[in-house]
Amino acid sequence: MSATVAPDQILKELAELWVDSGKQEQEGGTGVLRACSMTLLVLAEAGDDTQSLGETVAMLMPEHPARTIVVRLSGQGERSLTERVYSQCWMPFGQRRQICCEQVEITVSDAALKDLRSVVLPLAVPDLPLILWCRSPRLPHMPEFRQIAAMAQKIVFDSAASPDPAASIERAAAVAERGILLGDLSWTRLTRWREMLAQVFENQQNLARLPLVSNLEVEWGGSRYAPALYLGAWLRDSLALMGVHPSLQTSRVAGDDLLAVRMTGESFTAEFARRDDRMVVTLDGASQCTNLPQPTDYLLLREELGIVRRDPVFEKTLASAARLLHP
Amino acid sequence: MPLENPFQDPLRFERRVPECAAVIFGANGDLTKRKLLPALYRLAYDRRLSAGFAVVGISRTPMSDQAFREKMLEAVKEFSEDTTFDADVWNAFAKGLFYVAGDIGDPALYQSLAARLAEIEASCHTGGNVLFYLSTQPSQYARAAQGLGAAGLGKGAGWRRLVVEKPFGHDLASARELSDRLHESFDESEVYRIDHYLGKETVQNILAFRFGNGIFEPLWNRRYVNHVQITGAESIGVEGRGAYYQEAGALDDMIQNHLLQVMATIAMEPSASFRAASVRDERSKLLRSIRPMTADEVRQNSVPGQYGPASIGGNDVPGFRQEAGVDPQSQTNTYAAVTLFVDNWRWAGVPFYVRTGKRLAKRVTEIAIQFNPAPLHIFDQDGAGSAPNLLIVRIQPEEGISLKFLSKRPGSGMTLRPVSMDFNYGSSFGERSPSAYETLLLDAIVGDATLYTRQDMVEASWSVVEPIQNAWRETKTDFPNYPAGTWGPVAAEEMLARRGHVWRKP
Repeated sequence: MSATVAPDQILKELAELWVDSGKQEQEGGTGVLRACSMTLLVLAEAGDDTQSLGETVAMLMPEHPARTIVVRLSGQGERSLTERVYSQCWMPFGQRRQICCEQVEITVSDAALKDLRSVVLPLAVPDLPLILWCRSPRLPHMPEFRQIAAMAQKIVFDSAASPDPAASIERAAAVAERGILLGDLSWTRLTRWREMLAQVFENQQNLARLPLVSNLEVEWGGSRYAPALYLGAWLRDSLALMGVHPSLQTSRVAGDDLLAVRMTGESFTAEFARRDDRMVVTLDGASQCTNLPQPTDYLLLREELGIVRRDPVFEKTLASAARLLHP
Repeated sequence: MPLENPFQDPLRFERRVPECAAVIFGANGDLTKRKLLPALYRLAYDRRLSAGFAVVGISRTPMSDQAFREKMLEAVKEFSEDTTFDADVWNAFAKGLFYVAGDIGDPALYQSLAARLAEIEASCHTGGNVLFYLSTQPSQYARAAQGLGAAGLGKGAGWRRLVVEKPFGHDLASARELSDRLHESFDESEVYRIDHYLGKETVQNILAFRFGNGIFEPLWNRRYVNHVQITGAESIGVEGRGAYYQEAGALDDMIQNHLLQVMATIAMEPSASFRAASVRDERSKLLRSIRPMTADEVRQNSVPGQYGPASIGGNDVPGFRQEAGVDPQSQTNTYAAVTLFVDNWRWAGVPFYVRTGKRLAKRVTEIAIQFNPAPLHIFDQDGAGSAPNLLIVRIQPEEGISLKFLSKRPGSGMTLRPVSMDFNYGSSFGERSPSAYETLLLDAIVGDATLYTRQDMVEASWSVVEPIQNAWRETKTDFPNYPAGTWGPVAAEEMLARRGHVWRKP
């Protein structure tokens, strides 16, 4: 017999969580404060690391308190939907009151995916944004994805986790053209990287030499193809704002964890290379090394959940990166 | 015209921080060790400073750059709160620490400083930008500014800014004189008077709360607000600073600057934009609208206090006059409560009760806005049924906002009880809040003076406080008039009772 879930029942269970918490408070327990700023819908494969995902969501809650709905895709099998409701609480340091967020976990077989929208829609917190974090690399290819995505104000994905990052970027660019807010964690991973590059050109002397740049080279290793595409597109777009139009070469090199940019021109060389959590900035032969560890999923999501509006730099870069694939 | 950096992404990047050198006068002092260097280190840790950022410490003690670095390392390790020490970050940051020894009154110091700044400009590419921070005795402020001006350091290839710690004078005349002396070398736009209260995240949140939301502002006036209570209470005594405190007192130390600035933030008119000049204009206008008191009004509307000995939780606590370095007959106020009125259309007739004190029942800083009661009591009950609506903005220790209102008690019958709806700033946003000094130092480096105090604001504050100061000086009060560990003198309760009000016990 196939399993089903009733949204009304889930909402009742959620309400009971707070009644129980209130009773505990009256009986002398610590007080509970309910916090919510959004609905976070996480779509993950059943095989996705449960513990790691749970930890990431828990870490996000203090800054982005949310009703989290984690949907686990159990794959093929009979049409089945099951649910579990619980609260995620933490006690801020030095305070007496717990802060709690609601969490719902739904397991769904591929056959029941078409029912997911009808379950999630009533569970979304009214008047607050719904953010979809799609961790499943296969779901965007499934026909049901479009109606699930239609519920969200913003869709967060990771093109680097896709078996075909280039196709993922192309598809995202097409979605963005329809005005849907997107966040690609491959782009988010570049924020600190880009910030360090930008900081070098806060110096007016360095900035004044940018028009000398005639050649851009982006080198990448391992799974850095998507970030390399983004970097190349962003650099070219940014320099174009100054009326500078260098040539761009993107090449794969040996080594698992390299992402490097070289800007060269007449009497000017700047190189930015990140490898093994270290960023080396070399300007006219003088190098400086800085610690720049790879951001965790928590840090990446924290940044993306903070931007629920148009992101002009990303949107422009995404479109340019897609164009780079078909020069 | 400077070129625009095409790589900036304001939506995702932290604020742009220009390269600069910070020159700290009083580099061997407590403030530098406890607050400034830990704040700068934290900014470096968070990659908020530019790669070429440099610090030049100045004090009289001869010391090498290396010895200064070691001393600051100890300070950062001891006084950095909720910051992990990272040796790599420190080593990179410490490369930019330099030291120049000399006397503030000696012109040779400024020649050495100029030479050192020129070297730093060449090696660190600071672009000639210099932030001077006066962390010295207040009596040295004018001499330091004058020395910088005479050596030509008040102007340069880049920007020059002068940060001054409170107190900004000890009365209106001395505040004006100090400003005049500073202006001999620096324009007013280059003078950053720091009030660390304004750097606190929750004080800034008052602006977000008032002007980012549409629902509160219509209630924010004399039609709906009954009165406002501003409390800055400390549970500790003078903690070895008796000699200093004896000269200042609670009125000058807290109300003249911190609490009047808080009051200005809570009561100011909406500014046309969030630009520094616009926000500061509104703050200044509010301060100038506070009605100065006559000597007779001071007697009715203010209460000085001084704590006496008591036993708190089984520990014997000395009175102020028994503290080390304090005159046993001292007339210094360790508590001050005042009733202020704002003469403008919004607030006419609404009392603003402001109080501060040492050795009060608990450490708390908060603003409580009490609204008028419902015009008709249709629920037949007394007590809880008539409890006023209160909006409480807590600044420390548990930053947040609470709204108190009446709700029906479950069950049959129509019994009301007050309930509190809480927004806890620290836990609703679990992210670490920057310290006030981190915020304000970064603001000064990027040239954002919104949270700094302007000369006209300082003068307006002194105009409010000086009549109280004068009246209190002329009257000998029978001190001590409150035991340590309580909420202050009985006379302060009576001051509110005259208008039918009661101090909150936060």
